Amino acid sequence: MPAVEIPTTQEPADALAAVAALRRLADQMEDAAVEQAMRAGWSWPQVAEALGVTRQAVHKKHAKRLIAAGVTLRRR
Amino acid sequence: MVMFHKYVRTLIDEGGDEAQQDGSSTIEAQHLLLGMAALEGTDAHRTLLAAGLDRQAIRDALDREYEHSLSVAGFSTAALTLPRASVEPKRPTQLGASAKLVFERSFKYGTPKHLRPGHLLLGILEASVGTVPRALKLAGVSRGELMARVLDSVASEAD
Repeated sequence: MPAVEIPTTQEPADALAAVAALRRLADQMEDAAVEQAMRAGWSWPQVAEALGVTRQAVHKKHAKRLIAAGVTLRRR
Repeated sequence: MVMFHKYVRTLIDEGGDEAQQDGSSTIEAQHLLLGMAALEGTDAHRTLLAAGLDRQAIRDALDREYEHSLSVAGFSTAALTLPRASVEPKRPTQLGASAKLVFERSFKYGTPKHLRPGHLLLGILEASVGTVPRALKLAGVSRGELMARVLDSVASEAD
């Protein structure tokens, strides 16, 4: 399949796609960073405070995945 | 012929697997497209293959779109220096906004009883903005030509 180069421009379509891609990148970084912190023994309140979100929010978003991955979780 | 509702159920399962691999909490249009390319024996699958779009080619095009869109903002997936996160234990089952639009657009072609997988592919290809059309453009695939092929295919199979 021939590849077509699309020049980088500030077209609205490019700018909006960049927003969507950055959200995805941020989500991927958050998943990786939270997992790394919890594997290193951080607690939920510490991770939540570092991310600037509530403990409940970070727990709800990541607990099932980390438990399934076998990460030992500290409560406090 | 595979019953349409059974196809939809299988496609959503396949799309869920793709979303899970992407770390996405919802199934989006691109996950349905990847699922279509993985489900053999349908008009949609044959049309995609004829256009050179097997599952890997679609995945490569989507990866390229992601990198390209990040580059607009001066970023790259090279920013991901941490070990890759573990995947969610369960695949998502909820449709995201782009996947809901796929079904809305497909249902314009008839009642579910009269729909074929090709109509769902049309529902994906009708989007003129978003991840899928950008990925296809970067891969050098003409959305218009692909839609014409799908329309031919669903018309001939309906005869």
